[in-house]
Amino acid sequence: MLGRGMLKGLWVTLRHMMATYTSGPRRFPRRYVSGGVLERPEPDMRGMFTLQYPFERYCMFPRFRGVLAQLRDPENGQPRCTACMACERACPHGVISIVAEGKGKERRPKEYTYNLGRCIFCRLCVEACPFDAIEMTHVYEVTSTTSNQVLNMQDLLELGDAANIHHAGEDWQ
Amino acid sequence: MGFLDTLPVTIMQWVRSALSPYLPVWGSELVVALAKVVLALVVGIMPVIVFTWMERKVLARGQDRFGPNVAGPFGLIVAFADAIKILTKEDVIPAAADKPAFRLAPALILIPALLVIAVIPFGRGAIAADLNVGVLYVIAMGSMTALAVLTASWSSGNKYSLVSAFRAVAQLVSYEVPMAFALLAVVLVSGSLSTVRIVEAQAVPFALTMPIAAAVYFLCALAEANRSPFDLLEGESELVAGFNLEYSGMKFAMVYIGEYLHIFLIGALTTTLFLGGYRGPILPGWFWFFAKSLFVVFVVLWIRTTWPRFRIDQMLDFAWKFLVPLAMANLVVVAVAYKITSDVYMGAGLSLLANLLLLTATVVLLVAWARRSKSRRVRALILGEV
Repeated sequence: MLGRGMLKGLWVTLRHMMATYTSGPRRFPRRYVSGGVLERPEPDMRGMFTLQYPFERYCMFPRFRGVLAQLRDPENGQPRCTACMACERACPHGVISIVAEGKGKERRPKEYTYNLGRCIFCRLCVEACPFDAIEMTHVYEVTSTTSNQVLNMQDLLELGDAANIHHAGEDWQ
Repeated sequence: MGFLDTLPVTIMQWVRSALSPYLPVWGSELVVALAKVVLALVVGIMPVIVFTWMERKVLARGQDRFGPNVAGPFGLIVAFADAIKILTKEDVIPAAADKPAFRLAPALILIPALLVIAVIPFGRGAIAADLNVGVLYVIAMGSMTALAVLTASWSSGNKYSLVSAFRAVAQLVSYEVPMAFALLAVVLVSGSLSTVRIVEAQAVPFALTMPIAAAVYFLCALAEANRSPFDLLEGESELVAGFNLEYSGMKFAMVYIGEYLHIFLIGALTTTLFLGGYRGPILPGWFWFFAKSLFVVFVVLWIRTTWPRFRIDQMLDFAWKFLVPLAMANLVVVAVAYKITSDVYMGAGLSLLANLLLLTATVVLLVAWARRSKSRRVRALILGEV
C-alpha cells in the first residue's frame, strides 16, 4: 500500500547486492569456485550464479554421456576389452570398428577405432558390452577442426584413466 | 586536519603569491582563474570514469552477476577500454540529418552540465565561482537539457528519436516546476541563492529539517537527468535507444559523458543543497563532499536496478498532481515554521514536525482518494488490493 512495494523492492535488491559478497561459492575474496568445478547449485543457493566458463565448469550429473572410454581391470592394469565385437554390432552408426588378435583367453583388440565425429552418444555400445569394458565419460569439450576425428585404443584408455572408473555403470547409481 | 580542510585554498594562495613578482595583479588572477577552471573540469570529469564502472557493478551485483572484472583490478579501468573502443568507431552522420545542428547537439548536452560544476563547493573555499545567484543558475543550466535533447533528436531525422524528444520536453518542463518549489524552500530558509551560503546555513542538514523538499528535489533531479524510473526518453524496449539513436563514435561519447556528468550533478547538488555539503565532523570537507555525493549516486543506481519505468501519462500525473502540490505545501509549512521562531535548532525541529504532519496528511488524502475512487484499478494501485 502507498509505495510500500517500492521500498520492499529496494530492500530486495540491496539484500541481493550484499549476498553476492557474503554468501555463495564466490563470496567476497574468491573470484572463482574452488577447484574450478561448481557442484550443481541448490535451489536455495545465494550469491552470484555466473559461470565464468573457461575458468570454471559445472560438475556433470552422473548419467551424462560424453566421449567413450576404455576401462582397465584394477587388479592387473590390463584393458578389460576382449574384442568380442558386441559394441561394434550394437552401434547404430558404425562408429566403432575392431580388429582382433589372439585366440580364447588371449584374444585382444589389435586395433580399436572410435569415430567421434559420427558418435551420437546413445550408450548402446556400453549396454551391449558383456565385460563392462567401456563407459561414457563426462568429457564434452571435443571440438575438432576435422569432421572425422578418430580416437584409437590408446586415446580411449587415457580417457578411461583420467575419468578414474573401473567398470561400466560405476557412476550410474 | 585544518590544514587538509583548506588545502585547495592554500594551494591557490601559494600560486598567487608565487606569481606576483613576475606578473601584474590581473595576470596572476587570470592564471588562478584558469587553474580553477581546469581543476573544476577535471574534478567534474573524473567521477564519470568511476561512475561508468560503478553503474555496471551496482546493477550487476543487484542482479547476482559479477559486472566488469577483467580490465584491471575489479575491472576498475573498464572506462578506458570503453574510450578506446569508442575512439576507433566510425563517426556516422545520417543522410537525413540536419548537419550543423547534428554536430552542435552533443556539445549542447555536455556544456551546460560542465557549467553547473562552477557553482558546486567541493570543499571549504574550493569553488570555481561563488555566484550570488547560484541556485537560479543551476536551474537555468538544467533547463538547457530540454533544448539540447530536442536539437539532437530533431537533427537526426529519425522518428524514434523524435518521439523521445517529445517525451523529453514534456518531462523536463513539468519536472522543473516542483524542483523549483523544492529549491525555493531551501533558499527561503538559508536566505541566499549562493551555494556556499546555503551550505553554511545547514547547521542541521536540510534533508533532516525538510525531508519532503529533499525527496521532491531528488525525484525531480532523477527526471531532469533522465535516470530510471524516469528514463522514458531512452526506453530501450519501445524507442530503440532514445534521442541519441543516430549518434556514434566521439559524438556518442560526448552524449554519454554528459549523461554520467548529470548523475554526478544529482549527487553533488543533493549533497550541497540538502545533505550539508562539505560540512562534517573531523575529516576534511572535500572528503565529506565526495563521500556524500557517492552515497547519493549509489542510491540513484540502486533505484535504477530496482524500479520499473513509468508510463508517460503516469509520469506527468505524478509531476503535476502529486509533486507540485506537495512541494507548494512544503514551502508554506516550512515558511510558517521558520517564521514562528528565530532560533536555528527550534526552527529545524518545528520544520521537521511540520513536514511529518504534511506527510501524514498526504497519506491520509491519498488513501481517502483511493477509497472514494470509482476506478478499481486506481484503488488496487494505491491500496495494494488485487
